[in-house]
Amino acid sequence: MVTGRTMRRRAMALLLVVALTITMGTMTACPWLGGKEDRSLVRVRQAGVLRVGLDASYPPFEEIDGATGEIRGFDVDLARELGRRLGVEVEIVNSGWDGLYDALEAGRFDAVISGLVYDPWQTDRVAYSISYFNAGQVLVVREDVREDEEAIAQVGDLKGRTLGVEVGSEGDVQGHELRKRLRDLTLRPYPAPTDVLRAVRQGEVDAGLVDAISARQFIRTEGGVRIVGPPVSDELYVVAVRLEDQALLKAINAALVEMRDDGTLSRLADKWL
Amino acid sequence: MGEDKAREIMVTARRVWVGMQVLVIALILVFGVRPPRPLVTLGPQRHVETINPKMGVHTRLTDEVEEWKIKRTLEMVREMGAPWIVEYFPWAYYEGEKGIYDWSHPDQVVDHARRQGLTVVARLGYVPEWARPEDSAFSYLDAAHYTDFGDFVYAFVDHFRGRVQYVVIWNEPNLALEWGFQPVNPAEYTALLRIAYARAKEADPQVQVLAGALAPTLAPKGHPEGMNDLDYLQGMYDAGAADVFDILAAHAYGWRFPVDDPPAADKVNFRRVELLRQVMVRNGDDHKPIMVTEGGWNDHPRWTKGVRPYQRIAYTIGAYELAARDWDWCLAVAPYAFRFPRPARSYQDYFTFVTPEFKPKPIYREVQRYARGERGEGW
Repeated sequence: MVTGRTMRRRAMALLLVVALTITMGTMTACPWLGGKEDRSLVRVRQAGVLRVGLDASYPPFEEIDGATGEIRGFDVDLARELGRRLGVEVEIVNSGWDGLYDALEAGRFDAVISGLVYDPWQTDRVAYSISYFNAGQVLVVREDVREDEEAIAQVGDLKGRTLGVEVGSEGDVQGHELRKRLRDLTLRPYPAPTDVLRAVRQGEVDAGLVDAISARQFIRTEGGVRIVGPPVSDELYVVAVRLEDQALLKAINAALVEMRDDGTLSRLADKWL
Repeated sequence: MGEDKAREIMVTARRVWVGMQVLVIALILVFGVRPPRPLVTLGPQRHVETINPKMGVHTRLTDEVEEWKIKRTLEMVREMGAPWIVEYFPWAYYEGEKGIYDWSHPDQVVDHARRQGLTVVARLGYVPEWARPEDSAFSYLDAAHYTDFGDFVYAFVDHFRGRVQYVVIWNEPNLALEWGFQPVNPAEYTALLRIAYARAKEADPQVQVLAGALAPTLAPKGHPEGMNDLDYLQGMYDAGAADVFDILAAHAYGWRFPVDDPPAADKVNFRRVELLRQVMVRNGDDHKPIMVTEGGWNDHPRWTKGVRPYQRIAYTIGAYELAARDWDWCLAVAPYAFRFPRPARSYQDYFTFVTPEFKPKPIYREVQRYARGERGEGW
């Protein structure tokens, strides 16, 4: 039988555990009580500069201008616009592709903006922003194909059609997946995305499946084709910061949302792609 | 008294009943329940079907823990049509203490490979901590411990006698990285090879000993990171290496050059192997074959040495064709690498034929078509 004294002891022990839990939680949440304060945004603002790492070998997102020697591209403009909205200057740091994450962790820069694709395997090392560009596979048809019930508006309309893909690419993989679902779909391989897009324009194939960057660049430079439907697959370009720099990440995300809503991201894409 | 006696009998009877139930359950457990059957079995003996018996691939099963994944990898290699695999068997993994061996994992790899009809080429290396100074690199082995490595080679060849007929001694010893971050030295490596060769033959006179593949490099003389592979091979011959290997292992990376790009001393391309062959011929070793134990092309979109995916496919198939058509001195070509147990998250992932989740890449599909005698679409 449980005595009154035992009951009191148990109640006291429970109270102690609850009090300790609350204290620990408060200390973790409140830097002034001993928790670690996230000063990432303060640090950047105090320094007055956001150091952005990239590998300038990926045009049109980042490349070295042959004439001036300066680094330019979509990501450079994006970084400068982010800096403007955060109220700081931007310093571009050119770094090797395979060392970008290590250099970020080592503190060589505050963020990586380098055509970086969201990678779930790296989320224990870095924190990613929302996406600012989707470079996934898109469906492309001839520009002058009239939009009626026979037209291709999405992948479901490919049944009985011929689809061009770049051999060995993600479009090739996706095409083979689609063929399992759409049995009458015929795949026609080409060596490069531009070959696929030219085949679409010339009517050799009913549609092409290529990455969004190749499609947009072709439309801009050669034309005669257009993108239809939503992306068939995602390849999300994101900004990476150190895992603990949540305040900086929050500010970058807020700026990216603003840039998406006010059309800045679309204008950047139109400028460079 | 009567009631007490009756209660006592009831208690005793209940105990006996419970005891009998326990006994019955125990008997069922001991005799009635069969041990579970193994989840992964070797399965029936299979054979590789291919038009090109020189096709191989470098697998990476060293760090693959789950047996079903080992089996699935090797099944997929067979289904691709490659009869040869090159696999890495690290010394440190199997001899954690001097003289005490654990062959359980390599047994799995070798037995599954053989059951799939594959020939295993075993690369040996990776020095255990007990055989090198504290905080030294895994590739560091001083001359005093060459005999320890020789003991391991003996134990490996002895254990796998009849199952593994090819062993590669070390990897890329012409790179400081692979030579314990010491200055590379072909005479020193030849001394190591001499011991390994003797111990391998002592364990199994039939085993074929491959001299470790050299890293294709144009490093100038005295470079701290390595030595030109052609110079290094000549250095090995100068140190008497001709007597202590049966086959030369070679690494043949094409980087951005097509498969048929002609060889040149100042260029690293796939056909650089032909220059190694010339060194062998010059040294009277023209009767010995070469085996390409690593190589190929990479289609990472951001890597400076990467090619387009269709080029990688065409060059890889071209490499198999070249070996079959023109290289009568080449036993096999094993591009690097079939699959990684987990993503490397770097350009390395773009060397593979299959994803860690066993999803075949287009190159797998096209190589498979080639091995079946079909030309891929659009070639």
